[in-house]
Amino acid sequence: MKAGLHRLLAPVHRQQSGLALLILLLGIALTMFAGSHPDPATDAPVNNFLNSYTLMQTATNASFFAIMAVGATMVIAAGKIDLSVGSIYALSGVAMAMTLRALAPGTGASVVVGIVVCLGVGTLCGLLNGVMSVGLGVHPFIITLGTMWALRGLAFVISHAESILVPDALTDVAKATLGLPPGLYPVPLATMLATTALGFVVLSRTTMGRHIYAIGGNVEASRYSGLAINRLVISVYAISGLTAGVAAFIGCAYYGSAASADATGYELYVIASAVVGGASLSGGKGGAVSAALGTLLIVLIRQSIVTLRLDQNYEWIIIGCAIVTAVAIDQFNARLAARRMARERSQ
Amino acid sequence: MRTQGAMIRRTFSRTMTAAAALLVALLATAPGPGITAAQSKNVRIAMIAKSSTNPVFLSSRTGAEAAARALSAKHGINVTINWLTPPTEDGQVQAQRIAQAVNEGAQAILISCSDAAKVNGAINDAVARGVPVMTFDSDAPASKRFAYYGVDDIETGQRVMAELAKLMNGKGNVAILAGNQNAPNLQKRAEGVRKEAAKSPGIKILNTFYHVETPQDAAAKVLEVMKAYPEINGWAMIGGWALFTKTLLTDLDPRKVKVVSVDGLPPELPYVDKGIAPMLLAQPTYQWGYVSVEKIVDKVYLKKDVPAINKMELVPVTKSTLGKWARQLKEWGFTDVADEYLKLP
Repeated sequence: MKAGLHRLLAPVHRQQSGLALLILLLGIALTMFAGSHPDPATDAPVNNFLNSYTLMQTATNASFFAIMAVGATMVIAAGKIDLSVGSIYALSGVAMAMTLRALAPGTGASVVVGIVVCLGVGTLCGLLNGVMSVGLGVHPFIITLGTMWALRGLAFVISHAESILVPDALTDVAKATLGLPPGLYPVPLATMLATTALGFVVLSRTTMGRHIYAIGGNVEASRYSGLAINRLVISVYAISGLTAGVAAFIGCAYYGSAASADATGYELYVIASAVVGGASLSGGKGGAVSAALGTLLIVLIRQSIVTLRLDQNYEWIIIGCAIVTAVAIDQFNARLAARRMARERSQ
Repeated sequence: MRTQGAMIRRTFSRTMTAAAALLVALLATAPGPGITAAQSKNVRIAMIAKSSTNPVFLSSRTGAEAAARALSAKHGINVTINWLTPPTEDGQVQAQRIAQAVNEGAQAILISCSDAAKVNGAINDAVARGVPVMTFDSDAPASKRFAYYGVDDIETGQRVMAELAKLMNGKGNVAILAGNQNAPNLQKRAEGVRKEAAKSPGIKILNTFYHVETPQDAAAKVLEVMKAYPEINGWAMIGGWALFTKTLLTDLDPRKVKVVSVDGLPPELPYVDKGIAPMLLAQPTYQWGYVSVEKIVDKVYLKKDVPAINKMELVPVTKSTLGKWARQLKEWGFTDVADEYLKLP
């Protein structure tokens, strides 16, 4: 039983312990230096970082990026890139909000229609990226750069730049407390965990996952091995679109509205999360759990700027430097571990 | 191979043990629900403007900090401003900052909403946890904020168009420079411009032009549009972005094109002086911060009633009032006011 569990978690161990350690160290540093404030009800000191509300909010902030990062990791592991996830998020959200406004279905039906439209539009956009990449033979960077603009433009045109409110039924779902105290909303976190778990299973426990790494690692060898490369590429883009649709549903429902400007620039955070999580832009490497941890690290860095009262104007500099440092430390650790293992093997 | 597996398991289990310890600690420190505002000598206000790269919000921050100092001295309390403005406009990030401000013990929140619909929920959550919220510049009227301070946006658009129509003698072709198409306050101002233009049969609105809200993007948009629509005689600028550059000082001919713009910051003053923008309708952006902080202290510390809508009046800046306005800007802490304008009567 124990051996089976270790076998199951082996890929997690290898890639994620370094990231988890970094997150933990940052969390400890934040706890130590964040200061505290008196609880207005009891006057007891409350740590500005280490309290359930802040931690849940951090997880919520990370969840929208992390859900998309799981899909983006599959694309990157297959040796491709998807720059359009932020625009897919915006179009899916706007399409959902407009459909719900037009149909005005009942409470329960709103949620179902919202999920179907959001996930459906996301998947269709992903399929479009995949089909165009394969069919036109143009580099995916160019295809998804084009769809990044076109899909956001479409969202803008159909929404007339309005921020469209979504029905309360959706917000009630995304902000359900599930038995926790008021003000703690675990649904985005739960969705992130479920998406990450699914991504982990697909990438590490299925034939499709092995094939994704194979075509990312060596596309020619995969072709000679008889892998259906085009079908796989279309599939990973569809999954990336689907995860953007899931993030859009949770995000728009949680914040209560959808607009064409939503998730502007998020594609770069998503790609950065995957890379910080160990995905290689040349393909063949990356994991769902790592991507989620990478997202959490980036969101924690963003949050630390506010919590530690650093000058907000330095946010981009700090995040940029932190991403490069995190990846460099990860690479350094990986090299050290490889050297240590080689030494132990030779003994 | 066994050694490698053992090492990985060891590292992993150590990491996870530490993570579990952190989790236990966090659960132990979780505060209970139902936080209410308590009387305190500290009034910590989280200020969330639309973007920290826009100079109008930097002046509002200067105003807020000045009010904090003045009110601290006046009432013997400690009013502090915690600047939580995101670098670029993003309603979702603003909603996250509201939650973070509440979690970190803010006693009140002051916000200019990039997207009111996106922050309504976060404002309502903050109010439910006992933290009052006030809006400035761009309101969230559907939320539970206790007050708003700023201009009436439709009236502002109407005033821009009315002044421009006067300068154009009631006839000509007008373009609207409208900034971010998603900002509800700017949408209303553009609506006000169109509404007022409809009253003048000789005025034709050619189009509304949106752009990224940076000075360079705005100026580039004006130049691009002037090439495509050479028949333009007037620009109704519902924000001052394009006039924060020097480009249009040489590229717009004041004999052919007149500009009326909202805002009146130091970089815009040469446009008044050269007659390209004979009138600026300045929002005293310093007052966004100053007056709003006064209202918050009234509400939170002095327990006074504060009206829900607190209207800000626009200040017309023309060649005859340029010197007075320049000195006012200098007094509010702007360091880039040209000496030549300060010397004017």
